[in-house]
Amino acid sequence: MNLVLHVSKQLANAFGLLLAVLVLNFCLIHAAPGDPALVIAGEMGGASADVIAALRVKYGLDKSMLEQLFTYLGKVTTGDFGYSYYFNEPVLGLIGQRIPATLYLVLSALAMSVVIGTLLGIISARKPNGLFSQGVTVISLAGYAAPVFWTGLMLLLLFGSVWPILPVTGMTDVARPKAGLAYVLDVMQHLVLPATTLGLVYIAQYSRLARVNMIDALTADYVRTARAKGLPEIIVIGKHALRNTLIPIVTVAGLQFGHLFAGAVLVETVFSWPGMGRLVFESILRRDYPTLLAVLFFSAVLVMAANIVTDLVYRLVDPRIRSGGR
Amino acid sequence: MTTIKSTAVKPDTTMLPARAATSPIAAALRQFARSPAGVAGAVVLILIILATLLGPHLYGVDPLDIAGAPLTPPDADAWLGTDYLGRDILSGLLQGGRATLAVGGVAALITIVIGVTMGSLAGFFGGPIDTALVKVTEFFQILPPLLFAMVLVTLFGQSLVVVTLAIGVVSWPSAARLTRAEFLRLRNLDFVKASRAAGGGNGHLILRVVLPNALPPIIVSATLAIGVAILFEGGLSFLGLGDPNTMSWGLMLGQNRNYVLDAWWTVTFPGAAIFIAVLAISLIGDGINDAINPRLRKRG
Amino acid sequence: MPPVLSVKDLSVSMNGTKGMVPVLEHLSFDVAQGKTMALVGESGCGKSMTALAIMQLLPEDFRVTSGSILLDGVEVLSASPKELRSLRGNKMSMIFQEPMTALNPLYTVGNQIGEVLRQRRGLSRRDAHAQAIQFLKAVQIPAADKRVDAYPHQLSGGMRQRVMIAMALACKPKLLIADEPTTALDVTVQAQIFDLLSELQDDTDTAIVLITHDLGAVAELADDVAVLYAGRCIEQGAADEIIAHARHPYTRGLMACVPHLQLGRAIDHLAAALDEIPGMVPPLGARGPDCAFLPRCAFASEICRAQPQPPLDRINAGAAVSCWRHQEIAPGAMA
Repeated sequence: MNLVLHVSKQLANAFGLLLAVLVLNFCLIHAAPGDPALVIAGEMGGASADVIAALRVKYGLDKSMLEQLFTYLGKVTTGDFGYSYYFNEPVLGLIGQRIPATLYLVLSALAMSVVIGTLLGIISARKPNGLFSQGVTVISLAGYAAPVFWTGLMLLLLFGSVWPILPVTGMTDVARPKAGLAYVLDVMQHLVLPATTLGLVYIAQYSRLARVNMIDALTADYVRTARAKGLPEIIVIGKHALRNTLIPIVTVAGLQFGHLFAGAVLVETVFSWPGMGRLVFESILRRDYPTLLAVLFFSAVLVMAANIVTDLVYRLVDPRIRSGGR
Repeated sequence: MTTIKSTAVKPDTTMLPARAATSPIAAALRQFARSPAGVAGAVVLILIILATLLGPHLYGVDPLDIAGAPLTPPDADAWLGTDYLGRDILSGLLQGGRATLAVGGVAALITIVIGVTMGSLAGFFGGPIDTALVKVTEFFQILPPLLFAMVLVTLFGQSLVVVTLAIGVVSWPSAARLTRAEFLRLRNLDFVKASRAAGGGNGHLILRVVLPNALPPIIVSATLAIGVAILFEGGLSFLGLGDPNTMSWGLMLGQNRNYVLDAWWTVTFPGAAIFIAVLAISLIGDGINDAINPRLRKRG
Repeated sequence: MPPVLSVKDLSVSMNGTKGMVPVLEHLSFDVAQGKTMALVGESGCGKSMTALAIMQLLPEDFRVTSGSILLDGVEVLSASPKELRSLRGNKMSMIFQEPMTALNPLYTVGNQIGEVLRQRRGLSRRDAHAQAIQFLKAVQIPAADKRVDAYPHQLSGGMRQRVMIAMALACKPKLLIADEPTTALDVTVQAQIFDLLSELQDDTDTAIVLITHDLGAVAELADDVAVLYAGRCIEQGAADEIIAHARHPYTRGLMACVPHLQLGRAIDHLAAALDEIPGMVPPLGARGPDCAFLPRCAFASEICRAQPQPPLDRINAGAAVSCWRHQEIAPGAMA
């Protein structure tokens, strides 16, 4: 079937690109100033000459570059992304622990921004010159320009000291149970501020996008047809205009997954959210290169996955693409 | 050449009365002046630039000197308070704006130069060159730009030069895609064919014939790229990846962020400075977009 | 029997930057059950605005400034939004010029035909689907049971317009408004669509308002005609009468533009002079009280320039015309 072939092509393409990311990682380590052994060892703390020499042999740094590259790629295929001396743990394990928290954050921010952004856009499109619409325009301008880490700090200030109704750090409360519904609620409470902070930027963008597309859709002939058929306004907007408005938002949201992920690094740092972003910050501080590069690789994996999912969703909602011939 | 230049700005000249048919730049400027938001953005940005250039001399406090007790709230001596080391915040803002704006401007320039080069070569030549360059662009697009910049700065050192280069190197793909699309659209138009038939070489065609016509959207995207670069510089500095020896708004935020609950002024003002600068730049971008592309104005 | 649609003294204005600009002025006509009323004129004459005013789907800046529209005895202009929704689809429906954009590209044609039935008749998804197939068969779409699941982009232009017709007739409305239903189609397909409309009308007794500039179609389909020029009705009457004895210079000009039409002998000797009408319809806002056709009229004289445009003057039982010189240039007088 057409779709299977398409997905396999996409996967092959993704595989190629991810391989290229690994090669880039390898090159970065070797291009960075300083002895790669030291770089790989990171801040082991005063590594002696003997330790360095041992590392050099261990990592095959005495061999040719090409050989080293293949050794590196070979290790990666077995899941060996190196060892973090700072965390004293294999990098893969570290990332495995941190991915869920980041996904909670990123996905809730994404969901929030798509839903709220689309709603704001739709409401403001109904009266493009009205007060509400102008308010949305101002919010979207502000949301675009406000640095995410600053918005985070301001919210932290607001809810940390002025109006302390929400937790401002971490993902759970030490005193609360670690299982069941109570745990879920606890995490959700902690999620509110980070997700809002991260979501605001994209609420701004999607409300603007939704507004433009909704204004277009509302003047489209097929919407007039729907009205001429006597359909209730809720179906005219909710079925006919909305789906056409959502397509560009889905596309953009998928393409922006990488930006969202990078934004998460900053937001997690502000709110001490224990995800990959926080891991990035810690490994930057400790010059923990293996961890940092592995995070770069896995973020590329996530972006790739998001692109493939977006493409599939796009095909699902737009029959013109589905039946071939872009 | 004159005919080509006039094609580049056709949308605005048609919008203007006949007497205004002077140079395309003047025409675009006149159109820009009609956008209140764009003008407001330009005024604010000019004020910010003037403040960072003249301010330090007028205010006369060294941003790296200890001016008072740490974390002093805003008062008559330190108008915006002092930071965790007791350095004057206002002085830091005035001085730090230079680095922030300079990094933003230069990084955006790098972004646009790389992006336009890649995009125009891909779009102009098509075929295998296009395929290869699109693959490279795609490759850079799957790396989250800010994260990639963090890795680069961590590996290659925290200096203003590395930070600027890193931001430029990670953010070019969108400019490349835009330029490529414009080139694909333009390269088969009659005036390009005519120039080719007249014996124009590829270099001449790209730089002199197609590029001028592709410029309007590139200019808008370049303006917005400055804003993005400033946000990136802020983000990097916030994580402690800025140049520790050069005062910048992001650095102030990053160094003081642990004191946010005790001393709100230490982070609020530098962040607000970034916010206002980026807002001004994006308003300018919108204004330029409206000036170049009047059809889209009502879509806001 | 009262007419299905009765339009009286309808005026529409556009709220432009320079205040209200008339788009349509004092139009009146009736359409009885099973009859077809044709609104004829060049683009920009107010035909589509008439249609949209009847449907109450005028674009945002347009307003009905006077008049009355009675649909099956109900005043459309004072209907609440809810009443309007029940009138649309049930009592009146409309097909549009461009069937590609008038259909939503994201839903199957079966879905778009069926949704009216599900909303209105409370049909289940399955029943609506089955009904949709029946309707597609009724508009003579081959392999209707397969096409029902096709998306608009998978159909030809003629097919799409058939789908539009099926959709419009799904709830058996009393009035169908067809706004230039064939303009976007190939010439051969145009005839098929007109034939289909005419057959369906014979079966269902629907009243049709046909908006067109194709006088061939008027001759074939219409019972009555109103010729609009610059938002004013300049000639109105029974289709046979108007076609045979057009009195207004503009109507004659329009006819002379139709090469394949078999015109009456009386007009033949004028055809050479009138095979195209010089100039263009005056733009909105540039229309004064004078005869709007004056600048383009080959017959204009002092009397036309000295006085405002005359009201529609009833000539006989079958025709009315708005022209100072209609008697001098009438077919009889010229012969």
